Amino acid sequence: MKRRQPRRSNSKTGLLPELMAAQKKRTAQIRLISLALGSATIGQAVLLAEAVQRVFVEKAALVPMVAVFAALLAIMIVRTLLAYANGRIGLRIAADAKRDLRSRLLRALAANPLTLSRQGQAGSKISVMLDAVDEADGYFSQYTPKMIEASIVPLLILAAVFILHFPSGLILLFTAPFIPLFMALIGIKTRQKSEEKFEQLAQFSGTFLDSLQGLITLKLFGRTKQREREIERSSLSYRDATMSILRIAFSNTFALEAIVMLGIGIVALELALQLVVFKSMQFHTAFLVLLLVPEFYNLLKVMGTAFHGGRTSMGAIRNIEVLLAETSEARENKNPNEGLEEAAPAGGDATGKEAAVNISQIQERPGSGEEQQAAVCGRRDTWNLLSGPNLSDREPPAIELRELSFSYGEGAFELHAGSLSISPGQQIAIVGKSGSGKTTLLHLIAGLLPPSSGEVWVNGSPLTPACEEEWFRRVSYITQHPYIFSGTFAENIAIGTDRSVSREEIARAAEAAGLARLASELEHGYDTVVGEGGRGLSGGEKQRLALARAFLKRPSVLLFDEPTTGLDLHTERILLRSISELSRNATMITIAHRLHTIRHADIILFMERGKLIGTGTHKDLLNRLPQYADMVNSGPKGGVS
Amino acid sequence: MSELSIFTKAMLQERKDILLSILCGFFAGIGGVVLFSTSGYLISKTVFVPPLYTLIILTSLVKILGLARAASRYGERLFSHRATFSLLSRLRTSFFAKLVPLTPRILNRQRSGDLLARIVGDIESLQFYFLRVAYPPIIVVSVFLATVLFTSFFSIWISLLLIVGMLITAFVVPAIVRMGQRKAYGQVRQQRADFSAETAEMLQGFIDLKLYGRLKQREEQLLAASDKLTAAQHDDSLRLLRGQSLHSFVTFFVSWGVLVLGAYLIVQGSLAGVFLAMLIMASMTVFDESAAMATLPAYKQDSEFAANRLSETFEADGTVEASGEPSGTLEDDTAVSVELDNVSFQYADDWRPVLNGVSLSLKAGSKTAIVGPSGSGKTSVLELLLKLHVPTGGQVRLNGTAVSELHTEDLWRRTNVVLQQGHFFLGTIRDNLLLEDEGLGDRELLEVLEQVDLADKKPDDPVLEKGENLSDGEKQRLAIARALLKSGRLWLLDEPTSSLDYVTERRILKLLLERAADDTLIMVSHRLTGLEQMDQIVVMDRGCVVEAGTYDELIERKGYFYEMKQLEQQLVGDNGWGEA
Repeated sequence: MKRRQPRRSNSKTGLLPELMAAQKKRTAQIRLISLALGSATIGQAVLLAEAVQRVFVEKAALVPMVAVFAALLAIMIVRTLLAYANGRIGLRIAADAKRDLRSRLLRALAANPLTLSRQGQAGSKISVMLDAVDEADGYFSQYTPKMIEASIVPLLILAAVFILHFPSGLILLFTAPFIPLFMALIGIKTRQKSEEKFEQLAQFSGTFLDSLQGLITLKLFGRTKQREREIERSSLSYRDATMSILRIAFSNTFALEAIVMLGIGIVALELALQLVVFKSMQFHTAFLVLLLVPEFYNLLKVMGTAFHGGRTSMGAIRNIEVLLAETSEARENKNPNEGLEEAAPAGGDATGKEAAVNISQIQERPGSGEEQQAAVCGRRDTWNLLSGPNLSDREPPAIELRELSFSYGEGAFELHAGSLSISPGQQIAIVGKSGSGKTTLLHLIAGLLPPSSGEVWVNGSPLTPACEEEWFRRVSYITQHPYIFSGTFAENIAIGTDRSVSREEIARAAEAAGLARLASELEHGYDTVVGEGGRGLSGGEKQRLALARAFLKRPSVLLFDEPTTGLDLHTERILLRSISELSRNATMITIAHRLHTIRHADIILFMERGKLIGTGTHKDLLNRLPQYADMVNSGPKGGVS
Repeated sequence: MSELSIFTKAMLQERKDILLSILCGFFAGIGGVVLFSTSGYLISKTVFVPPLYTLIILTSLVKILGLARAASRYGERLFSHRATFSLLSRLRTSFFAKLVPLTPRILNRQRSGDLLARIVGDIESLQFYFLRVAYPPIIVVSVFLATVLFTSFFSIWISLLLIVGMLITAFVVPAIVRMGQRKAYGQVRQQRADFSAETAEMLQGFIDLKLYGRLKQREEQLLAASDKLTAAQHDDSLRLLRGQSLHSFVTFFVSWGVLVLGAYLIVQGSLAGVFLAMLIMASMTVFDESAAMATLPAYKQDSEFAANRLSETFEADGTVEASGEPSGTLEDDTAVSVELDNVSFQYADDWRPVLNGVSLSLKAGSKTAIVGPSGSGKTSVLELLLKLHVPTGGQVRLNGTAVSELHTEDLWRRTNVVLQQGHFFLGTIRDNLLLEDEGLGDRELLEVLEQVDLADKKPDDPVLEKGENLSDGEKQRLAIARALLKSGRLWLLDEPTSSLDYVTERRILKLLLERAADDTLIMVSHRLTGLEQMDQIVVMDRGCVVEAGTYDELIERKGYFYEMKQLEQQLVGDNGWGEA
């Protein structure tokens, strides 16, 4: 337990400090370089003032000046290089941080997109991955180095000015705080204003795309002219809303620049007075101060700009953090030892704990010694022990649900399946209205979703992430919308198995799934690229492709989400035939929509609002459960006639 | 490149703001130069112990200049941003107007959603063309020229040096930045797109990947893609950083040059020493203005890329338009007969036809249902009738006239359409009924809403973007209400009731058939119920008509329809409907 703590607490203290902590060495480098940069900046001004003093005031000849000129040029080169080095380190930090963020997000998404898919669409996830990570860039590449620079260099300059001429130093000291203050004010005020105008801004962003998407409807109804006016109106009102926000920002910037100018003006006046009236100062010093003052203010302004950019980036990082938290929350909801892959590789401690929990659970149950032994000696061994890798791979397993339940998070959909035993080779049909939790139940049994509590046992040992690979090797799942990967037709079928398969095997599987004709129609046959960016396939063809994958795999567990409508008869027939062939040597669990399937099932699981409220055969349930009878009888037969 | 010409036109229309922002920008820029050179001069002047009033005049000048400069900056920002947003508004309206005649041809492609989002994005990146590409050089050049002119009063050599410096920062440094970037730019874009596509694939294909044990492998692939993207982005920024460093070095170098040259000229006696500090300050300040030039190439590339892509999009699809609109119309007050003669249709970017030699003949006033599995081409038949696509072969005739001879908008006015994915806009229910007759009062609207079981909606109720606040069933009923408010004699309905429950569906179908009693009606249907009342049922599969006849005939025949019907009767549960 102790080992787990730091990982979890990391996500509580924040992603940003965690990312920055990894960059301690580099930030120290930036600090060091900034010190040198500040010295170079002062040095440059000193040499410049010195040169002007000698040429103009002392009327020196050119030859003795060469050394000063050369030194000045050298220090200019050094200053450029130092600034470049700082920028470069910033970019390195940004690259590291971005890589880190992307891989965290990837791991989180890969660990379990099924829980997330309930909370938002895939599209927004991808946009978080790309846009937010890119937006975060600014924090590391700009904000961090600039803030460090701005916290060191101006202080050095200020110190120099104080040493050179105390009153000028005082002027800088008193005017300087106004700059960050105004910058902060600008930020706060614009944010307030933009929140105020939020609705207008938000409305605008969608209107245009909305209009383009609805163009056909608009044209069919002869409304394009009105829409054009509408677009103009909304764009102009957007302009006015934005301008009213920007005006605040701009007038604050105006005040800010006025302060800077005033500061420089006061310094100049004061220097002139010292020079002329009190004659207490040399030209050299005065000019030097005059050179340093704008550098000082400029750096402060840069800090303000960087701060502004940094805020946007921080917002993006927060979005990433939210997404990461959602994922880990979804995982933490679960019994820890039941979780699917952890984001980080589980330590030895965690594994040990899992084993311990297993033992205690088993001991609570007066189970067989065999069970206990299996759990202790590890899952992989269990598999080998109970169903030898080659011989009984084809043997359908027994599946057992033990007080299984699942929740998509606080207040969200909950599923309670209770306990249930499925013998090897049985045909199970999950039946229920849409939204009753059929798919969730299937995913739980398949090990695609980690249960919140309870377990799935297979052949007498619990299904855990550790034996996942072995388990999935025997499972085929034919979804309603099988995914076609971009790749060749043959590759898409061959994905069904992890052994290397010959072209003949692929062709045989394709033929069994009724895809031979399609293969001959494709211009490069089995080598035609399909999926995204390739040849599009129809819904029926995708279904048959999923069947072909299964034929290649010959699973001992067959999961099937029966299609509702929309398939052509050819596919329907092949589906019917293939499923019955594949299920002959498999334990099959179907989300059933067809009476035929339901009637032939050995056990029907009837779901209602997330609860498994009935198990039994068709006849059995028809007599026992009025809800079930209602549903079965309210088919299309009861429709318009 | 007509897209940039649209842009230029829009810029001309905003010339007032543009000129004002240039003017303010110039004053701000030159104000800064004068401010700093004056302070340099002021300090130098003190060496000669001038009378106090000179100093007072000079220092007040410095302060006034400072304020004036800040004020001009304010003006510059205000006017340039207003111009930018006005430009966006103009761009949007003109591109919308341009897109209207191209629709639906431009949407023939399958991924039209992406295309539209891209157009929106491209227009948005074009809006910054003025602010970040066209504007900075104008300011830089004018401020520079003014400074050069000013310095030339003191020394022609120093002004020449400034010109050289300007040329280097404005052209040589950006050119160096651009070198290699042109190639890398496309790379980053490509890698980003690849990464996005692969992430999407992982999320969508998750179940299959997981079950087939490919998830780890895919994750590693993605991590590698991410690393590549990061590296490419890093290189890109590094190039930009080099450009910025180079720029600042050139700035330093020019000031150094001014110092050395000035010293030489002073020793020679051709320049008064009192101006040296002033000239150095001027040279240092003038380059502040050209900082924007360093990022210009990137923005320029962005906007040009956007403009190019826009023009490709519009030109690729805009060529056919020239032929002009035919003048044929359908007669008033008669139902329409429909004929399809060996019609084929194929999307330009698809590999096989959607429709393959479809022939149909529907009498005026007849009621027809088209049924078949998804992807069989049912919807395409309706779209061809509406001239939303042009058939690749064969002819579509209404009342004996080829649709290609019919005036498109007239045809649409005479058709009552319910599209499968009818669009709903941000606005009110009333707006979304897209009234032909704007004079219709609330009473009529309420009546129609009640007829379609939307009695709980009022004409002024809000509708969100894409009708997000409406359920699928509500959207369908609203779309039907929209069609009911039109007075056409041809009804084209694409699965109008797929999201409704049986009872409502039955009522609405009855309503539609009543209203269309004397008209021609074609309804694409996913379900096979309620079709007994149709004059003809057309069964389609894989782009062909498999069989056609009345309900009884088809059941009698025990063919495709009969089997589909059998299958449908097997379906259990409330989601056995309509879900594609």
